[in-house]
Amino acid sequence: MSERDFLVFYVCVLAAILACRCVPLLALKGRELSPRVSEALGLIPPAAFAALVANDLFDPAAGLSWTALLAAALVVVVARRTGSLIWCALVGMAGYALLTLVP
Amino acid sequence: MREDLAPALRAALPVMLGYVTIGVPCGVMAAEVGLGPLVAFLLSATFYSGAGQFMMASLALAGTPVLSMVASVALVSTRQILYSAALSPYLARAPRPLAALFAATVTDESFGVNLARFAGDGTWTPERATLVNLCSMFSWALANALGAAVGPALAIPTAVMSFAMTSIFVCLLVTQSWSLVTAVVVAASAASVVLLKALGLGSLSVLLGALAGVAAGLVAGGVRREGEPRERA
Repeated sequence: MSERDFLVFYVCVLAAILACRCVPLLALKGRELSPRVSEALGLIPPAAFAALVANDLFDPAAGLSWTALLAAALVVVVARRTGSLIWCALVGMAGYALLTLVP
Repeated sequence: MREDLAPALRAALPVMLGYVTIGVPCGVMAAEVGLGPLVAFLLSATFYSGAGQFMMASLALAGTPVLSMVASVALVSTRQILYSAALSPYLARAPRPLAALFAATVTDESFGVNLARFAGDGTWTPERATLVNLCSMFSWALANALGAAVGPALAIPTAVMSFAMTSIFVCLLVTQSWSLVTAVVVAASAASVVLLKALGLGSLSVLLGALAGVAAGLVAGGVRREGEPRERA
């Protein structure tokens, strides 16, 4: 990629990222929200995390990976027992690495 | 400020460790595209988007035209619209510059960490939340610079490292407050993402899948309220 192409890419993407991150928060900040909107905002976290997990575990080219699913199931157990992000990340990586060794 | 740093660091630490493990391989990919450590640091500190930066490197290596690259990486960031909207009630009284800095530095992981604290910890403030974002951002940018400095000489099993992020998402999902409506939201959201990815929607799948989950949750909440016995006048 040439320097000029990189600069065009950088400026355009940065503008898009900042717009997505800042505009909704600054536009809604301090406004009285209807109960329906508040209810919808409260549903965003589980919806977003479920979408991110599904996105990571499903690859349309390879389908569902049993290795990743089993490692994720292990992380569910650790999350329920400890609620710790660090333990989940460490156990998840170790579990995934070990499961990839299984033929 | 000083009294906010310790609790913010405690909250940010798991995210920072996760970012180091995945930031180094991301920096290695940036080096393969030709970016040096300083540019990788600045790009990571401003884009601050793991998915976007991995995508940028792989598209550049494949020789994708610039406009297609811009569209693809921008689409990956659209889910931030939802985070930004969901966090707005907690920043209602924050000064506008602080709210803007906070909003500009939100990621998938810091969104989860800060939202849980805003909802469950009465002492959590916009200042602490912004520090969580900034600490995480510096760990991400430094790890990228390190990866770009070491370059392709470092053979890293990217799939294993990136599972740290998947594990963090799983933990954030499992530790949500669960109800029947939550289960509907999660099932609809996950099923929609799988369907949309299978249909080839790629970068938009997460945003549209999450919106489908929210819509299903609103319907389920409405049905549940309809079924509840009404109070007599």
